[in-house]
Amino acid sequence: MAHAYVPEIAVDREGNEHVVQGWQDDFYGGKLGFWLFMLTEVMMFGGMFLALAYYNTLHPQEFLEASASLNRLLGGTNTVILLVSALTMGLGLLKMRAGDVKGAKLMIWATILLAVIFLVIKGFEWTAEYDHGIFLMHGQMLPESTMAFGKKLFFGMYFTMTGLHGFHIIIGIGLMLWLLKRINANKVNPHHYILYFNIALYWDIVHLIWVFVFPYYYMIGAATGGTSGH
Amino acid sequence: MGTNTSVNYQEEKAVYYKVLAGLLLLTAITFIQPHLFMAQSTFLAQMLIAVIKAWLIVIYYMHLKGEKLIGAMVIFALLLVLVFFVIVIGVDVSHFQFKGESYITEPITTGAAHSATPAHH
Amino acid sequence: MSKTYFDETHCAIGHPKSTFMQWMLTIDHKRIGIMYAAVMFTFFFVAVATAFLMRLELFAPGQQYIDGNTFNQAFTLHGVIMIFLFIVPGIPAIFGNIVMPLMIGAKDVSFPRLNWFTFWLYILGCIIAVSSLWVGNGFADTGWTFYAPYSINTNTNVIFTLVAAFILGMASILTGLNFLVTIHRLRAPGMTFFKMPLFVWGIYATAWIQLLATPVVGITLVLAIMEKYFGIGIFDPAKGGDPVLFEHLFWIYSHPAVYLMILPAFGIMSEIIPVFSRREIFGYRTIALSSASIAGIGYLVWGHHLYTSGMADIAKTVFSFLTFFVAIPTGIKFYDWIATMYKGKIVLATPMLWALGTIITFAIGGLTGVTIAMIGVDIHLQDTYYTVAHFHYAMLGGVVFLLFAGMHYWFPLVTGRMYNESHAKVAFYLNFIGFNLLWFPMFIAGYLGMPRRYFDYLPEFQIYHQASFVGAVIFITGLIYMFYVLIQGWRKGPKVGVNPWRATTLEWHLPSSPPPLENHSKVPYVDFDPYEYHHGEPVVKFDENMRRID
Repeated sequence: MAHAYVPEIAVDREGNEHVVQGWQDDFYGGKLGFWLFMLTEVMMFGGMFLALAYYNTLHPQEFLEASASLNRLLGGTNTVILLVSALTMGLGLLKMRAGDVKGAKLMIWATILLAVIFLVIKGFEWTAEYDHGIFLMHGQMLPESTMAFGKKLFFGMYFTMTGLHGFHIIIGIGLMLWLLKRINANKVNPHHYILYFNIALYWDIVHLIWVFVFPYYYMIGAATGGTSGH
Repeated sequence: MGTNTSVNYQEEKAVYYKVLAGLLLLTAITFIQPHLFMAQSTFLAQMLIAVIKAWLIVIYYMHLKGEKLIGAMVIFALLLVLVFFVIVIGVDVSHFQFKGESYITEPITTGAAHSATPAHH
Repeated sequence: MSKTYFDETHCAIGHPKSTFMQWMLTIDHKRIGIMYAAVMFTFFFVAVATAFLMRLELFAPGQQYIDGNTFNQAFTLHGVIMIFLFIVPGIPAIFGNIVMPLMIGAKDVSFPRLNWFTFWLYILGCIIAVSSLWVGNGFADTGWTFYAPYSINTNTNVIFTLVAAFILGMASILTGLNFLVTIHRLRAPGMTFFKMPLFVWGIYATAWIQLLATPVVGITLVLAIMEKYFGIGIFDPAKGGDPVLFEHLFWIYSHPAVYLMILPAFGIMSEIIPVFSRREIFGYRTIALSSASIAGIGYLVWGHHLYTSGMADIAKTVFSFLTFFVAIPTGIKFYDWIATMYKGKIVLATPMLWALGTIITFAIGGLTGVTIAMIGVDIHLQDTYYTVAHFHYAMLGGVVFLLFAGMHYWFPLVTGRMYNESHAKVAFYLNFIGFNLLWFPMFIAGYLGMPRRYFDYLPEFQIYHQASFVGAVIFITGLIYMFYVLIQGWRKGPKVGVNPWRATTLEWHLPSSPPPLENHSKVPYVDFDPYEYHHGEPVVKFDENMRRID
């Protein structure tokens, strides 16, 4: 509904005019809706963190040991990559609002590139873990292995949550490609950028989830001993 | 509403970079924290840093600053998650009463026959 | 003759010529609501038929028509359809869509295209849920709760049901999100939160539950799927996983979901009572705020489903205590409704009959809930017919009865015609008598120890099962009769004007009946309360430009 929409006017008994908010062209409504969507993400990951904390309470020592065996170097690199990508995303939106469409598109491409690098690093990490016999349905994660319960649960949750986070990253890449298409079609422009605004918000919540996933998995065992790597 | 209400490009850009610097600094602190402070409660320290980082992101990158309605909604959702944690973790699991007879904790005390399937048949 | 929303519509994609495609692609909230109703009632009757099959099997002890496994699948099918396909989306998707935007003077919901998408997401969920009747190893036999570890180990096609529940949950979330933004953004000028009709309050509270509780069950179902196919260990005791955690996560959603069902139903009650008592509602604010507080407290009581599952004693005590609190705002509502009727000019039309019947049935359903909120009593009554009777009194005798009440109440609004009052009343009495005869004996049977979900029983329980069976026959007859009366009314009923009930809320001040495509001709300025009656007559009147003329 990007074309001319003229809002209605309601008149009260004193004859004062009041603008009626229509569903068309409602920037704040779009923003509110997306924030509400993000609250569902909070509840979803909140539920998973709850499950994680549940087993952490039952097996505190094993969680620390399992955490210590994760690769903190790669995890930390990914943290920084996501951090920078949040910046490029934000700057792109800023450029769009200031009228610099070309710069905005460049920034989106940069964000996509960083997202792909993130996934590649994640892939290396998972491969290394697979080689150590720690992967879903594989090696020490099988029911008959004698690895302690706490560690099995830690890694089970680790693959689930980082996997689901990675899935969000992939969706984010898809959304950004779509956004580029919409920008090229001039459906998103310096005057109508709610889609861009919301995809930027999405990217921030993906980052935000990582802000908690990273320390809970990689860092809680950092003091337990063992340097980074397996 | 969707229109361009005078973007102060340079100023907003400066904010983005400042926040980036802050986040990078906090990430660095994440790594040296176990050797630097609160080494006995790494978990708590790490979560504290994460909360500060999240705060920066939400307020500046996600522009929540000044959003009264949305801010209240976010706080409501967070409180709800907090309550779930308090009840499930604080009230229930931390008072786990079934250690001896349980299948789900380590089979050290009793019940070894149930939980640890022998590796060799 | 002006055009109604049956004659023209906006579409999500393009401008199709054929009527069929116009319905498939419509983004009009009224049409979407009607389509929801059509699909839901179809499934409702499938689930009723399944329930009747179980009643038939239980008529006598021993095995007659179906074996134990089929019985397990039958109650799972009944539960899955009734909960996920019918009652959870139920009132919000039907009347939230049709009536709520009209009540606040909006042209549509905030995101009409998302609304269209949500409807088809719901249909996709329905198809996946039902398709496992034919695909794979048979329909799930876990019960609608999918308790681990059985749901992880069973060979039946539980995966389809889990995926379907997840998709239906997403549809539910998006509905709630859409309504929240609509209520926040599209209220007519001057309509503050405390000038909204109480049905809108019910929808608002419900939408918050849809939005914030559903993701938790969504992730629980995802974790169950991960457990089943990737063995992550989280619900599998062989790897240290705790099935009780599944129950926690499941009921964190599924208990608030109970309030998600009942709150919009209470909203319908709050609409009907003042209109048919010709009195301003008593205690508007307390009803509005009690909706909000039921939603709030409802988040904190899930543990009363876990009394026998292995929680810490302290947690049981806390949950029992919190559960009692829910009864308080519910009680406030009931007293408010009764006080509204006191000294009112009560019109015993069919919607009012359904509402009054619900006051009785829901009171029984609610109060029996308080007894099983007590830990000691619950240990005895957990998983017996007492519990079954309790939640059917609350859900069927509360939510569904009020859904029917709303169906009669808004019937002239949606169709522009009126059903036959005297036949509709007979249908109500049949339903009411059949309902009580069906469920009340189960309280006694359950108290005496008849367990739920069993396909066989001791001979001493036979009398209760037979009474229930007779009740079921009467009840189903009443249901069919009621729908027959309504369909006949839609086809041949007399045309009535825009406000046959002389109601006060905005959905009864439309320019035509049925309403036109974009609802109100002009948006009114709302500087009045929703239910203003003076000596039994509505106070607020509008001219054709929706300006007040009193």
